[in-house]
Amino acid sequence: MSYLLKTLTKKEEIDRIIRDTIDEVLVLRFGRCSDDVCLQHDEILAKSVRDVSKFAKVALVDVDSEEVQVYVKYFDITLFPSTIFFFNAHHMKLDSGTADHTKWVGAFHIKQDFIDVVEAIYRGAMKGKLIVQCPVPPERIPKYQLLYKDV
Amino acid sequence: MATLEDSFLADLDELSDNEAELDENNGDVGKEEEDVDMDMADLETLNYDDLDSVSKLQKSQRYTDIMQKVEEALRKDLDGSDKGTVLEDDPEYKLIVECNQLSVDIENEIVIVHNFIKDKYKLKFQELESLVNHPIDYACVVKRIGNETDLTLVDLADLLPSAIIMVISVTASTTKGTALPEDVLQKVLEACDRALDLDSSRKKVLEFVESKMGSIAPNLSAIVGSAVAAKLMGTAGGLSALAKMPACNVQVLGLKRKNLAGFSSATSQSRVGFLEQTEIFQSTPPGLRARASRLVAAKSTLAARVDATRGDPTGTSGKAFREEIRKKIEKWQEPPPARQPKPLPVPDSEPKKRRGGRRLRKMKERYAVTDMRKLANRMAFGTPEESSLGDGLGEGYGMLGQAGSNRLRVSSVPSKLKINAKVAKKLKERQYAGGATTSGLTSSLAFTPVQGIELCNPQQALGLGSGTQSTYFSESGTFSKLKKI
Repeated sequence: MSYLLKTLTKKEEIDRIIRDTIDEVLVLRFGRCSDDVCLQHDEILAKSVRDVSKFAKVALVDVDSEEVQVYVKYFDITLFPSTIFFFNAHHMKLDSGTADHTKWVGAFHIKQDFIDVVEAIYRGAMKGKLIVQCPVPPERIPKYQLLYKDV
Repeated sequence: MATLEDSFLADLDELSDNEAELDENNGDVGKEEEDVDMDMADLETLNYDDLDSVSKLQKSQRYTDIMQKVEEALRKDLDGSDKGTVLEDDPEYKLIVECNQLSVDIENEIVIVHNFIKDKYKLKFQELESLVNHPIDYACVVKRIGNETDLTLVDLADLLPSAIIMVISVTASTTKGTALPEDVLQKVLEACDRALDLDSSRKKVLEFVESKMGSIAPNLSAIVGSAVAAKLMGTAGGLSALAKMPACNVQVLGLKRKNLAGFSSATSQSRVGFLEQTEIFQSTPPGLRARASRLVAAKSTLAARVDATRGDPTGTSGKAFREEIRKKIEKWQEPPPARQPKPLPVPDSEPKKRRGGRRLRKMKERYAVTDMRKLANRMAFGTPEESSLGDGLGEGYGMLGQAGSNRLRVSSVPSKLKINAKVAKKLKERQYAGGATTSGLTSSLAFTPVQGIELCNPQQALGLGSGTQSTYFSESGTFSKLKKI
């Protein structure tokens, strides 16, 4: 749990923050503060929040509250931590070579990776794209398996 | 000067007349002026070897009046509660003003006596005046030494620092002065005593003024302290005079300019006078002293103005000023705020700055189009272009090597390209025909095959034929492209 970053628990808060972030990348982390991978991820986020503060905003969403389950279902979040990027209320996709482009699953290895991803999203969004290529080299992308209807 | 004339006239007439006239309270100031002039006149007579018994009398009579009053006031410890509306009407204030004047006059007097002593003592020990600058110190030293030749018998340890004592003893052993005659010695010693007496009375006067400073100018003394306040008032010539001065003048009141002839004044930088002796100034670190002196001068001028108009008899505004000064000096000394890391700039918000400069220009020169290339790119109208291999093959020369251009020569550099057989043969022919540096066995005549004079034409030896033969219909020409099927 990082004290620098805002934690959102209610649906109105999430709605408000998505609506009110204008011309900045909105980074929403869905996860639990007790999970150690989440903690690692949160630390990276907290360290870089000041560096990207001019073009990005970071917020944490606690996945254990009931109101948030709507979003968990909507975005199909099963693994924690999952990070979802928005720009001007549009959901931005990230092609990192994994199966799921709609979110980033897992923690970042280094702070620079996170900053690079946010910058790539910003540049793509300013050009009008909805999906961007991930600049992180594949060895630093966390790998995961997706189960589709238990297949 | 009119007063000097008057004093001379008074000398001639009768001194007692003047005494009777000016024997009033308010005439004390006048008396003191008179005293100074009398002393000056006396000293002029002193210079002519006339004893100053007359001036001694003067001194004891007139000026002890003021001294008596001062001592009385010191003992009585007046409080002076009924100040009245205007400061200037207060009798005690008047005494203070007179004391201020007196202290300035005494200082001038001391300088005069010092000059006198120097003049007389030159015969004995000339260098002493340049070694010991301060008049009172000089007088004490002269008194101690007297007519003594051997300085080891004289103890100067309590008067001067030991370094200077050493220098004095060394100089004394090599001085070319002689012992003084008895009467001159007497005069000198009396003059020394006079100087010391003047100094002690000046100290007494200052002490008195200091003790009264708290009631005269409470705000000013709250900031700079009563001693310095008294000195400032004395030099300025009264509280209202001090209040009228701008702060920059107050800052340099009391500055002793000791520009010894021949020495540079570039290093003597402190432009602070009496304010140098204040507690505030002494306690600031040396780097901030210039700013602090300006600040203290400004605030003390404001306090003096408050005091001159009696705006705040309690002295609270003076204390407030002092507090303000202290806070400001503290603020100057605190370290700058720690730097926080800057956030990254928004991507693509700043256009790329194209830098210029000598380095970039030098780098661009390596890839720039050279003059030679520029000439080769241009062509003359109407004349066919020369080319490296002739007949339009190879690289065109353009305007290069034309008769008009007298700068560049065409030099054939073998290119790194792969050339086919026909082109290679042509190149070789060219080389033999036009090259300036060829093998030493060929004579120059062979280079002009058109003339027809050929001693030994290396081209024929190689089977190249004369240069004028066309390649297309050449006898020696072979198939250019032979490919194995």
